[in-house]
Amino acid sequence: MPLQQGSARARQRTVLLVGIAVLLAALVLAVVLASLLTHGRHEVSPTMLKWMDRGTTKNLQEVILGRCYNYITAQHPELGDKDCLKIWESLKDAFIYKNPCNITPEDYQPLMELGSHPIPCNKSLFWSKTGDLVHRYTKSNQNFLTLEDTLLGYMADRVSWCGDPSAPGINYESCPKRNECETNPGSVFWKMASKMFAEAACGVVQVMLNGSVEAGAFRSSSIFGSIEIFNLDPDKVTEVHIWLMQNIGGPQSESCSGQSIQRLIHILEERNFKIICEDNYRPVQLLQCVHSPDHADCRLCTNSSAIL
Amino acid sequence: MMMSLFSPLLFVSVLCMNSFSGVQGRKWKGEGTTQNLESIVIGRCHDYIRIVNPAVGEKNCSQIWEAFKNAFINKDPCSILPKDYELFINLTFHTIPPNKSLFWENNQLLVNSFADRGRRYMSIGDTLFGFIGDFLNWCGQADSPGLDYESCPTMTECENNAVDSFWRMASTTYAKQSSGVIQVLLNGSAEGGAYPQPGFFADYEVPNLQKDKISQVVIWVVDDIEGPDRDSCGTNSVKTLENRLKTLGFDVTCTDNYKSVMFLLCLDNPDHSKCALASSAPAAQRGPISSDRGGSWNKLMFVSFAGFLFRFALVY
Repeated sequence: MPLQQGSARARQRTVLLVGIAVLLAALVLAVVLASLLTHGRHEVSPTMLKWMDRGTTKNLQEVILGRCYNYITAQHPELGDKDCLKIWESLKDAFIYKNPCNITPEDYQPLMELGSHPIPCNKSLFWSKTGDLVHRYTKSNQNFLTLEDTLLGYMADRVSWCGDPSAPGINYESCPKRNECETNPGSVFWKMASKMFAEAACGVVQVMLNGSVEAGAFRSSSIFGSIEIFNLDPDKVTEVHIWLMQNIGGPQSESCSGQSIQRLIHILEERNFKIICEDNYRPVQLLQCVHSPDHADCRLCTNSSAIL
Repeated sequence: MMMSLFSPLLFVSVLCMNSFSGVQGRKWKGEGTTQNLESIVIGRCHDYIRIVNPAVGEKNCSQIWEAFKNAFINKDPCSILPKDYELFINLTFHTIPPNKSLFWENNQLLVNSFADRGRRYMSIGDTLFGFIGDFLNWCGQADSPGLDYESCPTMTECENNAVDSFWRMASTTYAKQSSGVIQVLLNGSAEGGAYPQPGFFADYEVPNLQKDKISQVVIWVVDDIEGPDRDSCGTNSVKTLENRLKTLGFDVTCTDNYKSVMFLLCLDNPDHSKCALASSAPAAQRGPISSDRGGSWNKLMFVSFAGFLFRFALVY
């Protein structure tokens, strides 16, 4: 009898020990899992590549979708057949989970096709080193369209994005600068979109250049100088009007007779375009005067005659 | 006998059905809710806080959409009050920088251009709540959580509709938050007068301007380039406004055809006499330099002709 009691107690002890061990193991497992999950949510994966430019815009999907719907619904109802969801998916597929230095034009081909739309003739407005002024102009004057006034440009303007091979596939911390690698998602996008924008132009096209920049109004290294002028179709485009704008109050670094402009005219003439260059195209100069109404260059004739 | 009773009954019921289906299709006289409203509202919210004006900090855009929607869905579309948008306004709240407020009447596109997306001035459309609602249309229906995409009531059908109540609440908030020097841009060519009464500015903004926060009210009365000049500072409705503000204790100034805004109007009319710049006098202006393939031929012909004349002169 005493032997049976002893072995029963031993069994009980074993069961208790095993139970405690199992509980402990479950507890440890839970703690490890919890820390792994929260670790993944709040911290960047340590394996994500690090770059020098700002990362992907937060809530990129909501911004892009909202802008797409805004454009086709509120601003350009004639594009009502565009599928914004598909457009967003094609943008995401172009860069997600990819090394952001290995982006190719083929990656963006589906997006370019889904997002492109015809541009009315005589309305294309190119620009170089005049971003602020040219967009203020197209906002006030609906007669012209820059790339950023087309659907693709409108969605992407001032937004950045890039991917990374490790999860979640999008890098919100940083993205490559151009000097880190040329074939990054942003640069490839804008180059392709610019090429298509130039190809779609017809009739008279306009370009706004900056006559107050030291490096010259026309530069071969700019997107305008390296991509857009070479993708204008001589069978569709008849004339190129250059608006050479100088800042109110100068400096007057270059005018239509300047060296870089002559170079541009030469390149365009070789491609059989007729060129007209105008210094300080008046409607745009009026826009500049909004900001400097009291400058001598902005005196209105009516004012001066009143003084006399 | 039965047939003779039946046909008029049939005729009448068909008529009723037709008119009923017509009414069912378009309950109201105004345009329906903007398509994809939810995506647009949420997208604009994120666009604003990330890109347009990141200074406002973090906002919960999904919550903002819910608050916006709950103001008017599942209710009689003629029973929406400004205070129904109170939660929406609270969630989208941000301060307006002093001296940047720009009020307006009858010149929305001009104000949008002039304000330069909040960089020069912050008009109501440049605040988060205004940015979200601008140029959109919406309404719900009683006993249904859905938006009405067919039609929405206009102001004339009922005052307390979803959109007008939104702008009343937004205007009230905008006025209460304004401080420093505030600007008012009025249209001197508008038919109802530059300072229309009733109007959003008169009924919801002026009464909510905070005397202790505002140092000065600057009024600009600008006519359309082609005119007419119906109202100016010190006359008609503008005089009414000036007096009202002065009575309320504000320091008021008024300028006719403020130059900066005039330049903006001139964009569409650059050759109008009002828009001629003194610096564009013929002597100073460098004319357009044009280049075309025919140019070199013309030069050749001219030179040949000159040469011919010279020889002719020599002979004789």
